[in-house]
Amino acid sequence: MSAGSGHDTMRITLKIWRQAGPDAKGGMVTYTLDTVSPDMSFLEMLDVLNEELLAKGEEPVAFEHDCREGICGACSLVVDGIPHGPQSETTVCQLHMRHYADGATIHIEPWRANAFPIVRDLIVDRSAFDRIIAAGGFVSVATGAPQDANATPIGGEIAELAMDAAACIGCGACVAACPNASAMLFTAAKVSHLALLPQGKVERERRALAMVGAMDAEGFGNCTNHFECMGACPKGISVENIARMNREYLRATLVSRDLG
Amino acid sequence: MLRWIANALTSSVGRKIVLGLTGLLLVGFLFEHLHGNLKLYEGDGEAFVDYVNWLQGYGWLLRVAEFGLLGLFVAHIVIALRLTLENREARRTGYVVRSSTGKKTAASASMFVTGALLIAFLIKHLLDFRFHHEFFDDPSGEVREHLASPGTAAIYILAALVLGLHLSHGFRSAFQSIGASHPKLDPILEKLGPLVAALLALGFASFPVYFLFFGGK
Repeated sequence: MSAGSGHDTMRITLKIWRQAGPDAKGGMVTYTLDTVSPDMSFLEMLDVLNEELLAKGEEPVAFEHDCREGICGACSLVVDGIPHGPQSETTVCQLHMRHYADGATIHIEPWRANAFPIVRDLIVDRSAFDRIIAAGGFVSVATGAPQDANATPIGGEIAELAMDAAACIGCGACVAACPNASAMLFTAAKVSHLALLPQGKVERERRALAMVGAMDAEGFGNCTNHFECMGACPKGISVENIARMNREYLRATLVSRDLG
Repeated sequence: MLRWIANALTSSVGRKIVLGLTGLLLVGFLFEHLHGNLKLYEGDGEAFVDYVNWLQGYGWLLRVAEFGLLGLFVAHIVIALRLTLENREARRTGYVVRSSTGKKTAASASMFVTGALLIAFLIKHLLDFRFHHEFFDDPSGEVREHLASPGTAAIYILAALVLGLHLSHGFRSAFQSIGASHPKLDPILEKLGPLVAALLALGFASFPVYFLFFGGK
């Protein structure tokens, strides 16, 4: 099979985690697709599988997706043991079947972490991330009407660093990849993004303490600096942000006037 | 009044900071320990005896320092143990197929195992010398006698290599945990970590090799 020809089709064997509900017992189920086009995206291949399953009167495979453009953070598949699959800095919705050979076997599993309980099949409940954001991942100072764009000068390098951190789409691949199921990279990206900018600096102490507290309360693991999160992150968020969050936390512990 | 300290010391980030700081302080101790041991190579062991007597001359101050050192070890071990148990608990159901993105290393993945081995070695090491009464009568003779025995020498060489593996991840990791990461600093730390690990591992392994194969001559 010549990869990327656009005309040939491939035979792909899928081993997919199926689980009827949060408390149901799950297991890997094998499916075979005979007419996978190399031009299909990974999710389009799953759409084809689901159409076949529906035609046979079987339950389709539940998986999350939304924009399919790599920017919403909804897709969340562990492909052959790697969150979002083998292509670096690419969400699984942007992974295409031309990267696979005819006859390939692909394992698909959900994110695994106690803090991300399985809802059904490949869908996990990521509301733990929402609660971390709700604890302080925002700017609450009233800024009034929009100012002139140049009223608050921000150095180019700082703007770039903040933007790099803000690129986090909150998909949770960092948690899924971490051997400890830690949410440090996600939380650090949010803490960094806001701590670097003047609008966010106002509440930096309260934010660092509250977001780390919320992260711990969700039952995520702790960071042991394997840096697997950075390897899996579809947005290439650097672990430099984790060091920055650690600094922010240390600083907040020492200077915050909140007595606990 | 002290709630903020308790909050910090029970949080994930706070404990990692303490783990990193205690780790770095223990590395500092290891360098002084190696410096003291190197006196075994000076003269006919007299320099080492002088060093032991000099240390003992501090009397109760030495006891205070020893308790401080014990505190560092206990804090480092207790936090590492708690974090490891929590980390295992954080993913009760694992993956059917597990792969790595290539960032994880043998050293980073084995920190708990190498740490546990080092505790076991530490106990043996303390029993061999620190809590062995005859040691203080003839320090260099006791070291020679212990390390000339093939079994003991093998354990000491292995322990030095395990220490090297532990530090090849731990040294760099400690700086990351305390927030010391910067484009200027990171390339230096990436070189310094393995260098410190190799220096201490080879330094400590040199003593059993010297006494076992060269009879201390």
